[in-house]
Amino acid sequence: MKHFKTILVTAISLAFFSCSKDDETTPNTNATALTVKTYSNLHAPATGGGGQPVSGEFVKFNLATGQIVTTGDNWDIAFRSTTILVNGGVAGTDQPARTGVGAASIVTGTFANIITAPTDNLFTQDTAASYAIPTGSGNGWYNYNGATNVISPIAGRVLIIKTHDGKYAKMEILNYYQDAPANPTGTEPSRYYKFNYVYQPNGSKNF
Amino acid sequence: MPKYFYLVLINIMKYIRFLLILVVIKGFAQNEKKDTIQAAVIKEVVVTATRTERQLSSLPLPVQLITKAQIKQTGALKLNDILEEQTGLIIVPDFGGVLGIQMQGLDAQYTLILIDGVPLVGRSAGSLDLSRVTINNIKQIEIVKGASSSLYGSEALGGVINIITESPQNKKLNGEVNSRLGSFLTSDNNLNIGFGIKKLNINAAINSFSTDGYDLDKTDNEKTVLPFRNLTSQLQLDYKFSDKINLLVSNRYFNQNNDVETIVNNKNASGITKTNEYNSHSRFFYNPNDNLSFTGEFYATQYYIKDDVRFNDTNTILYNDFFKENLLRPEIRTSFKKRNTTYTSGFGYSFNNLERTYFEQKALNNSYYGFLQYDYNLKEKFNILAGLRYDKNLAYTSVLSPKLALNYQFSKQFSIQGSVGYGFKAPDLRQLFFNFENAGVGYIVLGYNVAPNRLAELQSQGRIQNSLVASNFFDKPLNPETSVGYNFGIKHNREKTKSSINIFYNKVKNLIDTRAIARLTNGQNIFSYSNIGSVFTQGLEFNSSIKITKNIEISSGYQYLIAKDNDVIQDIKDKKVFARDPITSQSFELKQSDYFGLFNRSKHTANFKYFLKIPNWKLYHNFRATFRSKYGLFDTNNNAILDNYDEFAKEYVIFDSSITKKIKEKFEIQVGMDNILNFTDTQNASNYAGRVMYCKVQYHF
Repeated sequence: MKHFKTILVTAISLAFFSCSKDDETTPNTNATALTVKTYSNLHAPATGGGGQPVSGEFVKFNLATGQIVTTGDNWDIAFRSTTILVNGGVAGTDQPARTGVGAASIVTGTFANIITAPTDNLFTQDTAASYAIPTGSGNGWYNYNGATNVISPIAGRVLIIKTHDGKYAKMEILNYYQDAPANPTGTEPSRYYKFNYVYQPNGSKNF
Repeated sequence: MPKYFYLVLINIMKYIRFLLILVVIKGFAQNEKKDTIQAAVIKEVVVTATRTERQLSSLPLPVQLITKAQIKQTGALKLNDILEEQTGLIIVPDFGGVLGIQMQGLDAQYTLILIDGVPLVGRSAGSLDLSRVTINNIKQIEIVKGASSSLYGSEALGGVINIITESPQNKKLNGEVNSRLGSFLTSDNNLNIGFGIKKLNINAAINSFSTDGYDLDKTDNEKTVLPFRNLTSQLQLDYKFSDKINLLVSNRYFNQNNDVETIVNNKNASGITKTNEYNSHSRFFYNPNDNLSFTGEFYATQYYIKDDVRFNDTNTILYNDFFKENLLRPEIRTSFKKRNTTYTSGFGYSFNNLERTYFEQKALNNSYYGFLQYDYNLKEKFNILAGLRYDKNLAYTSVLSPKLALNYQFSKQFSIQGSVGYGFKAPDLRQLFFNFENAGVGYIVLGYNVAPNRLAELQSQGRIQNSLVASNFFDKPLNPETSVGYNFGIKHNREKTKSSINIFYNKVKNLIDTRAIARLTNGQNIFSYSNIGSVFTQGLEFNSSIKITKNIEISSGYQYLIAKDNDVIQDIKDKKVFARDPITSQSFELKQSDYFGLFNRSKHTANFKYFLKIPNWKLYHNFRATFRSKYGLFDTNNNAILDNYDEFAKEYVIFDSSITKKIKEKFEIQVGMDNILNFTDTQNASNYAGRVMYCKVQYHF
């Protein structure tokens, strides 16, 4: 029996042997002086949707001031339901005119670990038929769950925004529902953006 | 002449007696005393592992045997009831209420289900529904774990479950009738009769089952399981031409009607799903001497399922889907024993076809195959088993499946086993021949083999905007999903205790999954199938049983399992997988230790069983417990994988118990309770109805 126990212990340890831990710790490299700002409950309503044509005013936002823009062309991004515009390129129908040099690039990583904006060729602008931040589930910043109708921001997607006046900012959308519930069920009031962003005022690509 | 006349008369008399039994059971008791418990004492012989009769304890492979006595004690009705109590086997509900089996952590579609060595067909959604197989008339169930395609070909990646039906060997008329009634108006009635007329032996078995179904979620208007009823009948004829030659013909028919009720766009619809299955299995055995045997086998089966569901108000059709699969399979096997070696070989042809909704025409999936096996024994110490099978497929890539297994008997009590085997699963006919266009949304799904022509057609109609795959994407045939399985075990057998431990590792490659192949001008995609990805499952299984006294036996089993996707592991290594912090909502990189593994896998599963006999009172009691640790069915945090930040299904334990009392050797009454704690989990385990109480009466003659 003793013999058997030895074999048993060896066998068990063999089985566990191959499941070695492969954890890696990521260094915290967020050593810049720029501050991370959070904007909550940016309401971006729309009419229509659900098969009907979507219409309504876009809500414009300036990343330098951190304010919603109601008059003037000094906006960087604009929201209407799940669509996000940049202030650069060609306006489609029912959209505000693009007067700036804005563009966007989508990168994969954690917000803190993205410390430089990508090269210029990876930035795109809006066109009459497409967006710099693509729409549709899985394409841009969100996933859509057909069963629960929940819109959830894709983890690890960081939007790098080139502002209307050629500066850079990075942003991560955190939530699409009012007061940012941790696990939205799809019944909460929606089209309320919560996002983190860092604006680099000196014109460099470093965050 | 008078002699013949006399024989005919006797046979007619026997026949009349048989008919009378069908009508009036009472009064035809025979004198033989049959003790069903005695069956357990008989040596444990299995056929599935080698296709020859082999003593269970000497096999170099992990094999589990469930005897008739065990099945009877537990009060099981359907195959899923008895399998879910076995170590390492988990019942998983699939689309449409189908109950499949997960073995060694591999999905239900990777375990081959056989009846008397021939496969059941009708995997309309991937899994074969175990709840359609009654355990009435089963002699034993043999479970071979680990890839076994070297003998059985496609689908035997995780292993093989072979249901051995009671074979006719009776001279005197005998049989049993039993009836069980339980919660949810579930009733199960059986009549089994066997008798012999000279060289002919006949066994007939009829099972009828019906249930009212159950409703786990009272807040919605739809029942979890709607009422259904089924009938299984089997007739087996065994004709002995001589001591060396006999013919066994088995015919089985299964019929099921499921009620359907559903609500679509706030309108009620209802109807019925009808299932019809036939199996006709003939075997011709010729054993010229003790060392040589020939088997000629002919198997034909059809599985036909059809929906007819209509809106209640307008009587217009909502679903009218059907699925009709045929398999015709002649096979010849030879087994030749020379001194310490047994050579087994076989070859056959498999004619498989399927007609179903969304197939343009009948899809053919024919193949021919041959296999060889070498089984060498040295002084009852050492056993080598080597096998090889080649499947030449006409609709997809052909496959060669080898296997090697060794057993070494250290002493009377100790033995070690090791095996490595290949397994494969053919692309199913849907993956090859599906032709489906969603009218509402506008996307298209095409089987791999019909995709090139259909794409050209869509191109000429100007419906394709751009292709998403290289132009030679469909040049090579689709590959089967393949696996390599390793098993290493130790067995320890003593008179009163038995224990075994088995370590397993399975790697499955070329998994077939859908992918977008082109974009349509309407903005939707065309999907087809391709070989992508690989997964592995590994773990440890432990089983033991102890006879504490002559009348008390306890057994327990445990499985530890890790099942993961290799691509996900690589993605985590490449820092491409993220989740959100539940408090700050910020994204962070997942670590390897955050990855829980494949969906619907539990790390720990265990069972415990206790059997008590009180001979003086002719009373049998048992208590069984089955445990499953937490598992996840859905990705709830949107990163497509199951990680520690997802919501999980809670662990559960199911307790079952029953008492059987024999009255005068012929009658038996059983009362039992399954799921004593009344466990339910509407979201994750819809197969548990809650507490079930039942009573069964049985009479043998």
